[in-house]
Amino acid sequence: MSNTDLLQMTISELAPKIHSKEISPVELTEASLAAAETLQTDLNSFIAILHDRAMDQAREAETDISRGDYRGPLHGIPIGLKDNLATAGITTTLGTKVLADHVPEEDAEVVRRCRDAGAIIIGKENLEEFAAGATSNNPHFGAVHNPWGLDHIPGGSSGGGGANVASGVTFASLGTDLGGSVRLPGTFCGVVGLKQSFGRVSQRGLLVTSFNGDHIGPMTRSVADSALMLQVLAGNDPLDPSTVPVPVPDYSAHLGKGLKGLKMGVPSNHYFDMLDSEVEEAVRRSIAALEELGAELQEVSLPSMEYIGALRISAMADGIVTHEPFIKSNREDYGPDTLYRTIPGQFVLGRDYSKSLKVQRLIQEEYARVMQQVDFLITPTAPVPAPRIDAKYITMDGVEHRVRGPGSSLISRNTSPLNAIGLPAITVPCGVNKLGLPIGVQFITGPFEESLLFQVADCYEKVSPSQGLRPKVAVGT
Amino acid sequence: MSISHETLKAMIRDYNGFDLSDEELELVRPELEYYLDELRRLDALDLSDAFSSRLLRLPE
Repeated sequence: MSNTDLLQMTISELAPKIHSKEISPVELTEASLAAAETLQTDLNSFIAILHDRAMDQAREAETDISRGDYRGPLHGIPIGLKDNLATAGITTTLGTKVLADHVPEEDAEVVRRCRDAGAIIIGKENLEEFAAGATSNNPHFGAVHNPWGLDHIPGGSSGGGGANVASGVTFASLGTDLGGSVRLPGTFCGVVGLKQSFGRVSQRGLLVTSFNGDHIGPMTRSVADSALMLQVLAGNDPLDPSTVPVPVPDYSAHLGKGLKGLKMGVPSNHYFDMLDSEVEEAVRRSIAALEELGAELQEVSLPSMEYIGALRISAMADGIVTHEPFIKSNREDYGPDTLYRTIPGQFVLGRDYSKSLKVQRLIQEEYARVMQQVDFLITPTAPVPAPRIDAKYITMDGVEHRVRGPGSSLISRNTSPLNAIGLPAITVPCGVNKLGLPIGVQFITGPFEESLLFQVADCYEKVSPSQGLRPKVAVGT
Repeated sequence: MSISHETLKAMIRDYNGFDLSDEELELVRPELEYYLDELRRLDALDLSDAFSSRLLRLPE
């Protein structure tokens, strides 16, 4: 099998071949590292490629597997980590000059879990500075480029991971999602991006973030791989009070089950209100495809979404508190987009912060009611396909919307509500626009119903027009 | 609704905030305008039911 064929496989396809010793983790990791180094020039998706450490891990995996100590589907699989996840003894920059020399003493809990499962960490991936934005246009380490169109953003803030999974460099990448930062690179790079329920996965070791709504989630090439990744990541962490001690089911158990009789909620407001026409057409086709598969369509109304923008107020206040020590010590090292988007948080009044949290609760209660009526919701993931890297504004219906920096919010309009609400959501590719840029559809279920989420997403994935499509810049192209 | 540079500078001074020049105040203005716009929207919203606070009221 050629390296190109090897690197285009999914974890679900590779794992049995690694287990049966048909594929060598050493050869697989060598191929992955070679692709990482070759494509770095075009994609700029890594801040650091960990060649020697990865090869050490791969040799160890190969030895363990050869003597019968196989740890499961991630054993011997090359993955990437967003560079805001702590890695013991390895520089973790958060994409900022402020922490350019920061070396954590211990691994983030998710990193420990991946290592214990035998995954091979091939690099720390490029991101928006401090993970604070949706473009991955990093002022210190350079812009990440979208493998489907190098002049376009890969989405953010976990853009390096999205680009790597799409182009065949990594089989999965771990990102973090505070407003859509896993799902947006997922949709813009044409891969699967998961933000599971708040409390399902430990956030310990996710650096410089808000306590309110951040999630660590995987980007993968298939829904089945997303389920395999969550199986490793999920579970209570006694040292992270935000995790919830609920049982972790077998996430792959519902894959392949049908949709017959499931109620599919289509929001009548907010999610379809401000959309690029090609995105709307692609998502409407997805809805029709799901009906064909047996899902029953039911329109649902979410009137409180009119006030969703108010949640930004508490996020502004959280942001300035999170960044205060770093701005005090290293203000001159900040990029202007992050600095001038963060500093306004110092003007937020306590009264307004509290109001914002009340709005959050109001919206949570509304979704709780709606999820009693339907089994899942379907929405567009992003209102537009990937903007150009040099775009400062997008014009929709005659109105200019900022793409980055202070005042920007359009791109994350359909993803950020789920961070505040805490419900699980996944993006699955649903076609491309006329320029060949990917479009994604988002599925949402009730809290801790990730098994149902995977069931629905897997059913759709099998009929998606994205099946078989590959980006312009990828291994073997 | 808008907040003048003078008011913002007074807030920075009196609440020990991060200093901003006039030029920098212009750079943060889009984010501030967003904040104020969202607050204005909330004027019409009754938040007394959020957190099911009515359940805690004594019977009349």
